[in-house]
Formats: sequence, structure tokens, C-alpha cells
Amino acid sequence: MIIDVHTHIWAADYANSTRELLQACERFGISKIYVSGLKSHYPDEAEIAALNADVYRFMKERPDVVEGYVYVNPAHGNAMDVLRRGIEQYGMAGMKLWVATFCDDPRVFPLVEKCIDYNIPILIHSFHKAVGQLEYETTGVHVARLAKRYPQAKLLMAHFGGNCYHGVKAVRDYPNVWLDFSGTMFRRDDVDYAVKQVGVDRIVFGSDMPITYLVNWGQVEEADLTPDEKERIYSRNAIRLFDRTWRIA
Amino acid sequence: MYTDVNCLLGHWPFRKIRKNTLDDLRAVHRANGISAGYIASLNSVFYNDPFEGDEELHEWIRGTEYKHVLTVNPTLPGWERDIEEGIRRFDIRGVRIYPTYHEYDPNNDDAGRLCEALERHGLPLFVTMRMEDERLDYLLKPKPLDIESLKRFAGTWRNLRVVLLNIRFGELLQMEQQLNELPNLYFDTSGLKDKVFVVEELIQKVPVEKMMYGSLHPLYALKSTYALVDFAEIGPEAKRKIFYENARVLEQRN
Repeated sequence: MIIDVHTHIWAADYANSTRELLQACERFGISKIYVSGLKSHYPDEAEIAALNADVYRFMKERPDVVEGYVYVNPAHGNAMDVLRRGIEQYGMAGMKLWVATFCDDPRVFPLVEKCIDYNIPILIHSFHKAVGQLEYETTGVHVARLAKRYPQAKLLMAHFGGNCYHGVKAVRDYPNVWLDFSGTMFRRDDVDYAVKQVGVDRIVFGSDMPITYLVNWGQVEEADLTPDEKERIYSRNAIRLFDRTWRIA
Repeated sequence: MYTDVNCLLGHWPFRKIRKNTLDDLRAVHRANGISAGYIASLNSVFYNDPFEGDEELHEWIRGTEYKHVLTVNPTLPGWERDIEEGIRRFDIRGVRIYPTYHEYDPNNDDAGRLCEALERHGLPLFVTMRMEDERLDYLLKPKPLDIESLKRFAGTWRNLRVVLLNIRFGELLQMEQQLNELPNLYFDTSGLKDKVFVVEELIQKVPVEKMMYGSLHPLYALKSTYALVDFAEIGPEAKRKIFYENARVLEQRN
């Protein structure tokens, strides 16, 4: 079984994104995808509402495979209302943070506290870059600060933090931080390094579809993992992470 | 028969490489049905005298099924004799360049003299667009090779077999005209990451005959690029071309 915890309806292109996601599920044997809608780096309230509505629509069309993240811009005055609507009305499974603010911006704190109440994961875009770092782009260092402040929060650091040697090491001491390696770096040693640093049980499979998929699948297949460890990465760790009956002690 | 046109042996100074021996390369190749490859030296990229890295590579692969690709920095002196020695001692089957690591425009006089030499020797040229993702290396920050510069280069050296290594989908679309019109311009698969069904989409735009399987092992996961071709719904003939038939042009000695 493969559960992909990191996919998108990209740039509000509902038709093409959902078609590709479903085509990938069928071709590659993906049992479930977790989807967020993304477009502008600094979306306004109307865009956020539209993107989340798209994800909700997709969830209703394909409840057998699609779960949703509610995308929130913490800089918006209605951020808490957006979160509540996403979880309580739309039935989404987690919250998505992208690049509008750092994840440890104080405006994020009430949202994190609400996610702890809901007991849902927070998918956090995290990418340390040698070139082209965005103004408020979270890195593993920011995720670590947030994890330390909220040890009961289920944080999911995306992309191994960009450069895995930066991101993974930043969060390795925080057991409430899970990691996906979605995206497009597909270096052969990233997964082995992450397993060495944090263990296999904090690593979940994500692809960043519709941007890419097989390159990240190939990383798991080629890593020095047992079949059981691969299965944990592909599905069992995600099942536990999204289980709302299971709380961090 | 399956051929990997872009594999390397040696040390990569920016991070620990877990699978960088010949045995490791053979193991991952065999696991994926690959029985041939064009290998260059990772060490040569960074050595003051790249040829010393190739001497090391020769010691590792001589007598094996793998084909030696010589690394040349044409801005350094003595590369002409290095190529001649590479042919005589190593039976080199091509030359690989790193313009962005060695900081030169492939359209400059040095690179021009190199291309003339390769035409005389009947050897193909492997052009490295990039190595790892440029966002990741904080010690050294080479930019990827400029596409407009690449277009001029490709148009100048129409008779030289050129393989573009680690070039991305969007960059290939910018080179669409050149890839369709220039008979000796090719690219490998190691840069194809930016689309779920990237191979299917790409061969709608450029001839499948221009695509060669290349992995950038040990830096990239070979299985990733292999899967892109293996899972593509393009028919067995197209896959054969990508996995080995297209690479046969590299064997010709003009």
C-alpha cells in the first residue's frame, strides 16, 4: 500500500491536476493521497477560500482516495475561521502551511494550538536553499523552534527541509516532527541519511504531485531498507500520523 | 544491452556518497537490467589536473564492460595531449565537460578548439548542464548552463555528437527547435523530474530518438530515472530506443 501525504491541486488548475493525480493513483498503485491547493506565494483571502473549496470538491468526488489539507495563510485575519471551516465543515485531515509566513511566526501559534485540539498534523513546507530562498520560507530551524514550543503538535516537515543535511539535522531531536521527502531532489543518499538520523518511523512518503512522483518512489526502492521499513515509509507511518485517536504522549 | 550514458565513480566532496564503488555501480545496474555504461570520474571535476582523476578511473574500470569518458577542462593547458593519451591508454569513448564548474562559456575559443579536436578524433561530447540541484550546494554555487548559450553552441557544432546531461523538462522545451532540427544533439534522462508523466509529455515535443537513458549515479537514485522510462506508457519500441538503441550512435567513430 502507498499513501502519498503530499500532493496538490496546482495553480487552481482543477481539471488537469485532479486528472493527473487520479491517473497516477491508478498507474502506480497509490491507495490514498492527501491534497492541498496551492497557487500564489502570498494568497489573499479569496484565493485561499477558492483553493480549499477545490480540495473539498475533489474529496467529495473521490472519497475513496482523496483526503485534504486546509491551506491557511496565517497573516490573514480570518485564518482561524479558515482552519475551522476546513476541519469541521469540509472534514479535512490536516493543515497546510506554505511560504506566506515562517512556521514559527507568532501568528501561527493559535492555529497550531487549534490543530493540537483537533489532533491533526500540520504539513509545513520547509526548504533551505543556497540560492533563491524566499522571504518567509521556512527551514528546518523554524520547524525545530515550533516543535520545541509545541511538543504535542504533530508537525510534518516537507521536502526533508530542502537540503536534507540541513533540515533533518535541525529536527532530529524533536520526536513530534515527521518528515517527507517530496519534491525533486531525488539524491540517492537522502533517505538513508534521514533514517540514520531520525529512524524509519518518522519518515512518510510524499511526492509533491503533480510536480513529480516516480523520482521519490525510486528513492525508497533504492535505499538500504528492509521490505518492512519500506512499508512503514510507504503507508504505516502515515496511517499512525493521521490517526486522530492517537495523541503524542 | 541497456546502457547508462551518465554514471560516475569517485568522490563527491559535498556529502557522503554511500554507493560509489564499481561494485556498487554494477550492483545497481544489474538490479535494473543495465549491462553497459559510459563512466566519468567525479574526482576529475575538482582535480587541478583532471587527467589524474581519469588515471584513477582507468585503474578501476579497465578490462570491464564500461566505457571511459574523459573529463576535460579546455581552459587548462595540455588537454590536447590528454585526449590523445586517453585514446591510447584508456580507449576513451567520449569527453565530458563541466562549463559551470570550470567557469567558461562553451562558446569560447577554448571550447571551440576542443570541439574541433573531438570532431577529428570522432568522439562525442557530454555536456554537463548541472550536477546536483543548484539550491542544495551552499559551499559552491554553480549556476546551470545558460540555455541561450547552449543553443548557440549546439547550432555551431552541428556535426559533433553532443549529449546534454541533467537537463530539465522546461529547458528541453526551450531547446525544442534545436532538438528537432540538429541531427547530432541528444540528452539523457537524469534531469527529468518536473512532471509526473514527463517522458510521455516530452516525446510529444522532441523525437524519442534524442533521449538516452542516463542516471547520474551515484549522486541520484538510479531507480528514479529508470522508473520514469519503465513506467511510461510509450510502447516497447520507444523504451528500447531510450534504454539502449539511441546510445548506439555514441559507438560510432566518424
